[in-house]
Order: sequence, then structure tokens, then C-alpha cells
Amino acid sequence: MKKKLFAVVMASMMAVASFAACDKSTGTDQTAGTAAPPDATNAAGESIYSEEAIQDMTMFCAMIGSEINSDNDIQELIAQKTGVRLKETWLTGQTAGEAIGSIMASGDLPDLMDGGDGSLTLYENDMLVAWDPYLDMYPNLKEMYSETEWDQFRQEDGHIYWANVFGNHYNGVDTATGHNGEAFWVQARVLEWANYPEIKTLDQYFELLENYYNEVKTMPDGETTLIPYTALGYDWYYFCIENPPMFLDGYPNDGCCIVNVDDPANPKVEDYNTTDTAKRYFKKLNEEWNKGMINKDFATQNHDDYITMLTSGRVLGLCDQYWNFGNDIAGPFKTNKLDSLGGQTLSEIGCDYVPLGLTIDAGMTNQWHSYGDELNNASGCAVTTSCADPNAAFKFLSDLLDQDVHNLRFWGIEGEDYLIDDDGYFYRTEEMRANWNDPEFKAKHCCFYSYCPQWLGISRDGKNAMNPGEQPSEFYATLSEPFANCLKAYGATTYAEMIGSVVCETYPWYPLWSWSNLLNNETDAGVAWAKMADVKHEWLPKVIMSSNFDSDWDKYMKAYNGTGVEDFLAGAQAEVDARLATARENGYTG
Amino acid sequence: MVATFFKGEWLSMSLSSASSRRTKKRRSNGVEFTAKEVKRQWVLIVISVFYVIYGLIFNYVPLAGWIMAFQNYKLKTGIFHSKFVGLDKFKFLFTSSDFIGVVRNTFCMGALNLIFSTITAIGFAILLNEIKNLWGKKIIQTVSYLPHFLSWIVVCGIVSDALSTTGIINELLIKFHILDDTFLFLGSKPWFWPIVTLSHLWKETGWNAIIYLAAITSIDPALYESASIDGAGRFQKMWYVTLPSLRPTIMILLLMNIGNVLNAGFEIQYILGNDVVRSVSRTIDIYVLQWAMDGTNLDFSLGTAAGVFKTLVSIVLIVAGNTIAKKTGDERLF
Amino acid sequence: MAPEDIVFTICNTIFMVLFAVVTLYPILNTLAISFNEGNDAVRGGIHLLPRVWSLKSYSIVIHKEGIIQGAKITVLRTIIATLASLAANALLSFILSRKKFLFKSGLSLFWIITMYANGGLIPTIVLFRSLHLIGTFWVYVIPGLVSAFNVMVMRTYMSGIPDSLEESAQLEGAGYMTVFIRIISPLCKPVYATIALFSAVWHWNSWFDAMLYNRSNLKYTTLQYELMKLLDSVSTQSSANQSANALSQGNTATANKNTVRAAATILTMAPIICLYPFLQRYFVTGLTIGGVKE
Repeated sequence: MKKKLFAVVMASMMAVASFAACDKSTGTDQTAGTAAPPDATNAAGESIYSEEAIQDMTMFCAMIGSEINSDNDIQELIAQKTGVRLKETWLTGQTAGEAIGSIMASGDLPDLMDGGDGSLTLYENDMLVAWDPYLDMYPNLKEMYSETEWDQFRQEDGHIYWANVFGNHYNGVDTATGHNGEAFWVQARVLEWANYPEIKTLDQYFELLENYYNEVKTMPDGETTLIPYTALGYDWYYFCIENPPMFLDGYPNDGCCIVNVDDPANPKVEDYNTTDTAKRYFKKLNEEWNKGMINKDFATQNHDDYITMLTSGRVLGLCDQYWNFGNDIAGPFKTNKLDSLGGQTLSEIGCDYVPLGLTIDAGMTNQWHSYGDELNNASGCAVTTSCADPNAAFKFLSDLLDQDVHNLRFWGIEGEDYLIDDDGYFYRTEEMRANWNDPEFKAKHCCFYSYCPQWLGISRDGKNAMNPGEQPSEFYATLSEPFANCLKAYGATTYAEMIGSVVCETYPWYPLWSWSNLLNNETDAGVAWAKMADVKHEWLPKVIMSSNFDSDWDKYMKAYNGTGVEDFLAGAQAEVDARLATARENGYTG
Repeated sequence: MVATFFKGEWLSMSLSSASSRRTKKRRSNGVEFTAKEVKRQWVLIVISVFYVIYGLIFNYVPLAGWIMAFQNYKLKTGIFHSKFVGLDKFKFLFTSSDFIGVVRNTFCMGALNLIFSTITAIGFAILLNEIKNLWGKKIIQTVSYLPHFLSWIVVCGIVSDALSTTGIINELLIKFHILDDTFLFLGSKPWFWPIVTLSHLWKETGWNAIIYLAAITSIDPALYESASIDGAGRFQKMWYVTLPSLRPTIMILLLMNIGNVLNAGFEIQYILGNDVVRSVSRTIDIYVLQWAMDGTNLDFSLGTAAGVFKTLVSIVLIVAGNTIAKKTGDERLF
Repeated sequence: MAPEDIVFTICNTIFMVLFAVVTLYPILNTLAISFNEGNDAVRGGIHLLPRVWSLKSYSIVIHKEGIIQGAKITVLRTIIATLASLAANALLSFILSRKKFLFKSGLSLFWIITMYANGGLIPTIVLFRSLHLIGTFWVYVIPGLVSAFNVMVMRTYMSGIPDSLEESAQLEGAGYMTVFIRIISPLCKPVYATIALFSAVWHWNSWFDAMLYNRSNLKYTTLQYELMKLLDSVSTQSSANQSANALSQGNTATANKNTVRAAATILTMAPIICLYPFLQRYFVTGLTIGGVKE
């Protein structure tokens, strides 16, 4: 009996050991043979890959996403053009770390992977293939980033293991009509009621909200009270409560600290949590709380409650990043015809949110909106060492950037999903737009390969946008009247112009949140960062809801200073200097 | 008759435990370990061997993974080559200022949940048994267990909506002049544990009562008849017939659930918890998620160490519970 | 009837009705939301009736690729695993409930520890991998055959059956297995039904094991796993990482997560509710032990 037990134990130990011992390939596969060319022709006489020649590959993305059907139309077309059919699987019910751990333990590794938060773990466990040799082979891939930017992706061993696919404008031309980042938002009808005043400072903003609230008080139905201001404090979403001091001082979104560039050659890291602006901002929030202007549930709501409240149209103003609420409320605002509004939708009565780029004092410039690319080197699309044919994988990634394939991914099939007008511009009908918002249709027809290389900006034909979301005609077609009037009144044509940020180049170290997102307990800076977050979670709601602000603020500062902030700032400074040095090596002068 | 039978059993058990102290060869259930007995029970023994093998493979072999709690486990180096760090991970847990509070939260919420859910499940089962109309009984019983099938996300959504400052609870309390102004229930530290407990009761009472209902059906009706003959009223029947008959089931379930008191919490605390009440809402599992299962902080060793800690506490608790059950002559776990 | 009896009956009835209403509310609420149109449901405020009627959510759920296969596998799994584990648990309970069993205490302790001692996620996956269970159907059935909790509940129940039945059968020459099959089991119908119900519901709802061991294997996916994936696909975002993704997909879902989740919940609950009446008679009507004169 004991022997059997021993044998079984040993057997399983061996299994564990052998699993740990395999996958030791260093991931620098230098053999780059030529990929097989297309071997068939389709009805239109173009050369495509036949069914036998198409390779099936798998990709796991450590993020939430949608699965497409196995008979998806566009996926088939792309497979015929590129020779690869990619099955994507997504994160469900686990954290990125757990998922990567379970995938590795079960031995069921995919060919491609975007490890999300766990990308560094993948690299440290020798699971990824280096991009370097393939960059030279496939110009489409190399084109994605400049030399300096590619250097940002280099790991400790000097090789590149993944490439982030987002926020990348072709030829650097930024055409964004929307604003995906953070801002103070206000409903269009509030600005209209006040006759489109200049709202540039925090004080002016809250004064506007108060005046509208005191005058109007309820929604058009006469009963539902308005909520002048809210902000979400739930879990990791609390950045819109804690980081405005950074923006209010006119700095861009480095996310974890301010980088002072009074002397651009010697950038200095500063902490935005302890500045005078921070105290003034929280004091202002505290005043508004005591006047009853802030949503009473702001500190206890979770994300779903928050969205539900926003879709009622009662909230006049908020501070948040667009992606956190904009997409969720867009549908309801545009389509729900409400009896309480006399059959109109919330968009039609002016509840759409207009962004404002506020500063703490008048006359300051702001950088709420960043022009140009935001490089996030923390994660990206990667090829794993368990891929049987890395060359085919990289060729596939490269093919996805070809203009015709790219159009299939984001615009769709010409004639079915978009039409071309006389000047050569792409546009969609209402029906096409509705289809592309329907999950059932998307599963059957659309194939974005959304974590594989892609472009934003203007496509190679020089006219149309790479992504329909940035096509001006699409943008203007979906604007509501009050919102459009607002933009006109302020002389703006896009969200970005409404915010009025300074148009300037981003610095080489920007955005610093790509560094802070990767911090863990193994460095002093990481431990300090975690403790700082704990203290802020604990104290910021208290400080806002306090009845004695100054004394609570002092207690908060005392707790904050005990977290080892100096270690964090030292780490941030080191990172800024390192990125600057890398940029200088590649010819940056600034 | 069954009740007296039980009493007799209890007597004989205590006698046998007394005698086991005198002769070492007797087992705790009063049986001599002789070759004759082994031969008599050979079927049982052989089958048991298969169960032991199965249990070893599927339940005990993975325990070898506990060694991860004493290593700095990395996926690359695996179990054999990860660096051995002794009690470092445990030290990290116990010296963390959060961890003690987190254990306290988990334990208290688990204990509250255990006590109240046991009481309400038994109470509901007994009261339901008293309903004479068969169809009424069936319908109510069916409806009662349905919330068990809802996910916590759905139930917490309803709870947080009802308790918000614009929700129905505040509305009613103000209408009946119990409150002057809205009260932020979800932001109140004293209220968090009761809210969690009540949510559990709402969702699980009907389901938990199923076992007790099944046990009640096996009570010999003759007992109730003889109790009636002796002049017992409804409540006396409940107290002297139903409850004692349920006692073994109650004790076993209590014993098993005591061991689970530290496993009581993740979903509901994660969803309903927020920054204002975080000092009372965070549980061990949430703590482990933050420090060990985050993508950037992937530390399986820390997670395993917390798991080892929970197991040790569970075992201490059930051994203690079992000993008490032994002393009171109740049904024991082992 | 004595007056106190009448009062009790009235109070009890009122209490039960209230209880039923309170526990029925979330179900009716979920039902209402599932039949509501997505964008309208986001506003909240739906109680017992849908505000804007729509079957779109059900359509999305039913048309998800893999739902049918998932349903087949789940049904198969529930039936096979429930019956197998019921048999396995019952036999072990029988052994442990035999008062004279020599290893009663030891074997009980052996299994009780398994309730609280868990090797963790990674060691379990590694074990299954070495047993070649990953990517198969049997990974759903074999590991969960014996559950100490169920065994203990059944053991308690079986211990309550009088010894005299067993003794008189053995006098007539019946071995242990005959006693188990012919004498004890028929009397255990309530507890068998209870454990079968618990087991069936557990298997019906499980998705985590499908994700770990059959992640991309559509052949052995389960219903709940497909539904979990579906729920994620109709949510618009979940982290800063995905903010850019949302932009690239122009993601403004017209079907909302709330309604799809409600529809998925109703669809998974419905079969259980249909199955339940067959088992309910064991819990609600009386059952005499009978057969023995003390």
C-alpha cells in the first residue's frame, strides 16, 4: 500500500517536473523559411488559399472579448487571402494571472497570445518567440513603430517579444474625432441653458452645475430629481476621483505621477497626490458634498449601478474616462424613446456629455487630450513557443495590415457593410450601422481580430479612416442636435477641439502608466505603490464626505506619508530617465 | 419507539467507549479487532481499499502541491526547482497589517452565516412541515429554493439597488417616519455584516432546508401518534419529537460547516464591498486575489500559503467540534 | 382544534405566503428583465413586468454557436455523473454507517479531511494532465465521484435505520451487498433524492472545469461555459487595457449584458424546475419506515 502511494506520488512529481522542464526553447527561432504562396483562384480570378492550404491557429487573449462563429463570413475571406484561420479565445471568470497559470499547467498552449497584465510572466517563463528576425522580413510589421518605439518593447535580454496594437496612427496622423480619455463632462443642455459660457476652471464648472440644478431641479417629468455631479469610486475605477489633480495642473495623463518639464532636458517626477492643487480639488469636492451636490451613493456604487444611474439622464456632470461610460450609455441615450420626455430620447433633449478640459486656475493650458500615439509597452500581441510555424504566424500578422485585409476587418465587405460615394469616401447606411451593433450579426459576419496588429488614422488611400469610428462622416451622422449645436457654439468640430488641449508632441517617457501598471511586490517602488493605493482607497471617500475637512486631510496625509512614497517616486524617476536615455540613443534631441 | 431506541443506542455507545479504555484491542465503536471479525467484514474492507486508492489519487496526491507554499514558486522552475524559502510566505501573510483584519472579517461573516442559516433552515423546514395542504406545501417549497439558482451578481444587484439612497428601503423608512433623511446602508460599517448575512438567508434558506425536509419525512408517524396520545400539543411535538429526530442531521451538518467558516466569502463581499466599508468587507479570498492572483503579482506560493492556513484552521475547528460532539454523545464526524 | 392551534395555523400560513413572495420576487424580476429590450433595461426600474417587450436576448442566447452542443454535453454529464456519484457515495456511506465496521473512524477521517484540504488549482491541473483526463469528457465525471459532504449526510441518514433490519436479513443468510441493495437503499429514497438533486444541480451549473480542461474544445463544452462566454461578449469593456479595443470595435452593444444574463439565467433554471416535481415527493410527503415491530 505504501509502495503504491509512493509510486503514485513519484509519478505525479515526475509529471510536474517534466512539465516544468519542457518549453525551454529560448524563443529566438532564426530559421525563417519562405511561407507557402496561394495555390488556388476564386471566382473573381484572384489568387487565394485553398481549404487544404489554410492553416488553423489559436490565440488566447487575457482580456474579455467575443467569440465568433466558426462559419464567420469575413473570417473565411481573410483565411482565403492570408492562408490562416485564427480561432480566438478570451478570458472568462479568472484573472489574467490565473488564466495563464492554468493554461500553462494544462499544457494546452495557443499559437498566439496577448497576455494582458501577465505578459511579463509569459516572457519570464520563456514562452514567447522574439520578433526581431521577423521585423526585417515583414515590412508591414516593422512599419508599426519607429526605432525608438521598438526599443521600448525590448526586454532585459534585448529582444522584442510583443507589440501593442492599439493607439497606433498610420504615418502619425491623428484623426480622432472622439476623445477616449479622461475629462470633466457636462450635459449639453446645461451649457445651452447657460448660453454656452466659458467654463475653464473647476470653480466655474461647479458653479454652472449648481446654478442649473437650483433653477431646474428635476427632469422634464417634474419628479425625478437631478444629480449635479458624480464620480465612480469602485475598486480600480477610482482613478477619476484620485487623478484629476494631475490634469488640473495642466499635465498630461502619465497616470501615476507628474513629470515636470520646466527643464525638458531634465524631467523631474512629482507626486500629484500632495500638491496644493490636490488639496484644493478635494476641498472643493468636500464643499459640494456638504451642499448636497454630489451623488449620495458615489462611494458605494459599483460599475453597473453607476451606468444605470447615468442612463437615467439625471446626472449633470461627472469626471471619467470616455471608454468607462461612453459606450455603455450611447445605445440607451440614442434609442430609448421615453414617455416622460414626450417620446424623445435623452440625446435629443441634450443629455449627451460634452467634455471640458478644466484647470485649477484660469489662464492655464491643459493636456487632457493627447495628440499622437500613446505607446503602451506593457502588453501586446505575441507568438508563443508552442506555435509549430512561427514564420506563418508572423506572415499572418503582417498580412493583417495589408489595406484590403484591414478594410475587411474594420469596414467589412464593400456593398454589404459599407458603400463608396462619388468622391471615394466610405460611408454606411443606418441599417449597416445597426447590423454592426448587433451581437448576433457580429458573431456571424464580423471578424476584427482585435488584438492583432491594426492601424488608426488615415488609410493608405489617403482619404478614408482606417477605422470607421474615426471617419468624419460617420462621426457627424451619429451626433445629436444639441451636441452638434454645442460644438458649433464653441467653434469646435471634434471632441478634442472642445477640450482645447495644447497640441504638442508627447515625450519619450509618456505614458508613465505603462510602467506603473506592471509594478508588483518584488520592487520597493511596487510595494509602495500598492500601499499608496490602499491608503487612497481608505481615505479619499472619507475626505470628500468629511464634516471637518482640514483635520481629515491631515490624517490622510499622515497615513499617506507612511507608505514609502519616496521609493515609488525614485522608481518613477529612474524609469523616466531610462526611457529618455533610450530615446537619446536613437537620436532624440530634447 | 425510535426515540427510545436512540436513547438505548446512546447508552450502549457510552458503555462501549468506557470499555474501550480498559481493553486496548477494542475500537472506538466497541468492536474487537480479531481475525474472525475481519473475515466477517471482508467485503466491506475490500471495497474500502478501492475508495482509499481513489481518494489518494484524486484528493491526497495534489496535496503534494502544498510544498509551493514553502517555495518562491515560479511557473518556469516548477515544483522541483523553485527556490525554497521556508516560512517566508507565511510571514508575509501574518505580518501584513491587513491580514489579521481580513481573517477576522472572514471568520465573523462565516460564523454569522453558519449560525443563522442553520436556525432559519431548520425553522423553515419544521414550519413548512406543519402546513397541511399538500399543494400549498409543494408550491411554497418549490418557490423557496429558486433563489439558489440566481447568481450572486443578480442577487447583489437587487440588494444594492434596494439599499441605495434612492432605493425602496430608504423610501419606506422615510415614509413611515423611521428615518428623517436617507441612510447610506451600503456605506455603513456596522450594517455590512448583517446585510451579507440577510442576503445569504434570502438566497439559500429554501435550499438549505431541503436536507432537513428529507430527514423529517423519515420520522416514524407512530411517534407523533404516541405523543398525541400522551397529550402533546403542536409545539411539544416539535420540541420532543421532530427536533430530537433531526438532531443527528443537524449535528453533522453543523460540524461539516464549521470547517468551512473561513471559506465563506468571496463573491458577495467582492460585489457589495466598497471603499467606505473595506475594513470590514474584505475577506481572505479577496486579499489573496489582490496580492497573489493579479496579473502583475502572480504569486501561487502566497495563494497556496493562504490555502494551507485555511485548511489548518478548518481541521482544528472540526476536531474541536467533533470532540465536543463525542462528549455530548451526539452523532460524530469521525 | 384548540384556539392556539388556529392562531398558529393562521400565522404560519401568513408567514409562508410572505416568505414565498419575498423569494419569488427576484425570480420574477429576472424573468421580466429577460423579456425586456436591452437598451431600455440599462435604465433600471424594472420590477415584475417588462417595460419594452423584446425577445432579442433569448435569440442571442439560443443562437450562440456551441449552445446546442453545450446543452447536449451538460445533459449527458448531469445524468451520467449524478448516477455514478450517487452510487459511489451511497456505497461508501453504507460502509461507514455499519456500526461494527473496523475502520469506521479512520476511513471517515480520511474522507473528511478531503473536504477541507485542497492542493490548489495548479497541482490539480497537473494531476489531471498526467492522468490524460484533459480534453476528455470523463474529466467531468471521474474526479468528482466521491464527495465527503454527501457521504456524511447519507451516512447519518443510514445510521438512523434500525440495526434490527440488517440483523434479521443476515440471519437469513444475506451478505452485506444484499443488505445494501435490498434493504437499506429502498429506505433511503429521500436522502438519495436529496443528494441526486444536489449533484445534478452542481453538474448542470458547472463551467469552471469546462474552462480549465476543455477551454477551446468545442466538442466537450458545457452549457454554462458557453453562457459565461456569451455574457462576456455582450459587455462593452472591463479594463483600461480594453478601452482601445472598444474603440476599434465601435462597441455600442444594442443587447445589454443585464438582459442577456437574465435570459441565460432563466434558460438554465427552467430544466431544473421541470425536473424537480419528480423528486419533490420524497421531501414533502411522509414516508414510513415500517416493517419492524420494536
